[in-house]
Amino acid sequence: MAKKIQEKMISIRLHGRGGQGVKKAAQILARAAYLAGYFTQDFALYGAERRGAPVTSFVRLDKKPIGTRGYVWNPDFIIVLDDTLELSCHLKGRKKTTKELINTARDLKLDVEYCKVDATGVAVQVIGRNIPNIALLGAFVKIFKEIDMDHLAKAVEIELGKKHPEAVKKNLQAAEICYDKVVC
Amino acid sequence: MIDILDGNACAAWGARRAKVQCVPVFPITPTTEIIETIAAWKADGKFPGEFVVLESEHSAASACLGASMTGARTFSATSSQGLLLMHEMLPIISGCRTPMVLTTVSRCLSAPIGLWPDHNDTLAMRDAGWIMLICETNQEVLDSVIMAYRISENPKILLPVIVNMDGFVHSYTRTEVDVPEQKLVDKFLSHPELEVRLDVKKPMTLGIPAMGLDYMRYRQQLHKAMLDSFDVVDNVQKAWAKVTGRKYEFLDEYKTKDAKAVIVMIGANSTIARSAVDKMRKKGKKVGLLRIRLFRPFPEKQLRKALEKIDNIAVIDQNICPGMGGILYPEVKMALSGCKNVVCNYIQGLGGNFVSEDDYVDILNDVLKAKADDRKWQM
Repeated sequence: MAKKIQEKMISIRLHGRGGQGVKKAAQILARAAYLAGYFTQDFALYGAERRGAPVTSFVRLDKKPIGTRGYVWNPDFIIVLDDTLELSCHLKGRKKTTKELINTARDLKLDVEYCKVDATGVAVQVIGRNIPNIALLGAFVKIFKEIDMDHLAKAVEIELGKKHPEAVKKNLQAAEICYDKVVC
Repeated sequence: MIDILDGNACAAWGARRAKVQCVPVFPITPTTEIIETIAAWKADGKFPGEFVVLESEHSAASACLGASMTGARTFSATSSQGLLLMHEMLPIISGCRTPMVLTTVSRCLSAPIGLWPDHNDTLAMRDAGWIMLICETNQEVLDSVIMAYRISENPKILLPVIVNMDGFVHSYTRTEVDVPEQKLVDKFLSHPELEVRLDVKKPMTLGIPAMGLDYMRYRQQLHKAMLDSFDVVDNVQKAWAKVTGRKYEFLDEYKTKDAKAVIVMIGANSTIARSAVDKMRKKGKKVGLLRIRLFRPFPEKQLRKALEKIDNIAVIDQNICPGMGGILYPEVKMALSGCKNVVCNYIQGLGGNFVSEDDYVDILNDVLKAKADDRKWQM
């Protein structure tokens, strides 16, 4: 169980492109939070089913069963898996307290402060594939604080282990590196 | 066993726990995962039933008819245009009084092509002679598929059942779900043998021609079986509550007892509307929500009882019958015939157009002020 459970519902919105594991990232995050003692809801929204098309996914966490569904308009956290997306559009609905985590190697000129890590670079180096989702979640664990790396590791094992058991270890390695590398 | 499952996985688990014997299918977004899940189980040897992918939804529905006529417990799933292609077979399945369960995952109709949910696909089946359960939560989908077999196979009923959920906001949304133990479901769900069934050892004709008065008698019997199914659905829901603690009703009423205004709707967005009710209640506004779970047979009497003393009613239709309006609206009006409530219709969420808590707050505030019936679109 997590050390403390937040009083209010926490919502997280993830943006990326088809093929980057946007949906899977939400599933892993929800599973990790479930293991940390939360009620969870995760959901992905996409239109054209092809690689490269924008995909959005959502996670809601609460200490009681989730009482809403659908699009997360005002997230507490925004995770961006692809810095070539139109960010002014995808960062919409921010609250004053919203924290952003962006997968980028660049210095993006945004009117908000954000945390960043080159999860794609790490993923390519460690996993050998441009799938940055789990690597980026490693960085998110550091920012989010409600789940720890053990929760993430177990969640990856459950959500990825069945179909891709060979990918679990390297992805977690990439996540550890991003945990250390993320800058805010 | 608690797991994190989406609506599609829940439908598949319902079929698996019900020990379904034949699954004729044709995949379509946002239903495909139901079919993929069962296919994967089949490949892993975890699903002993027959799994058949046909060349179209029409063929899948035809195969469902044939399979269920032999007495095999039959399951299928589809959405949108796929359901419309099945439609030709659906009155034949109910007319032949063959029990089965079809999960429909609501997706808007073409054209233009959309992937996201509204209820025009499933509600278009309202006259097909199928019992229709429209779900809100993942748990409800799983539970309803299992309950649906006990309803459908009741010798007094012998009617097929549609178990509906919304695409995306339901079918792809994962939450914690209790997957009941196999032993519990085995005890709950016997498999009564069909009295009349296809059997190569006893050849017979099913689906005979019947003209005029004969035809009318068949339709009258079908209608009677539908009306008789109220008690059966009620008993099955009570029996399920007894073994799982999960209670389901024809109508899911939330804070309606002292309400001045109530939203009436179906489907997964009810969860969002419920939060809006809570938000308004915190501000002292007496509002509530009534979700219709059993859509066919239509629980007219229960609906009237629940709503007759409510001053202002907002009927939300996530569908459009062009040239008429919302599909639910006239049904609610019929149930309230002669009552003095103000009943307004709001068309909302077509093609999965996003709705938020605030949209329902707006509707409740609007209907609280309404002095006469009105029909509106919330864009």
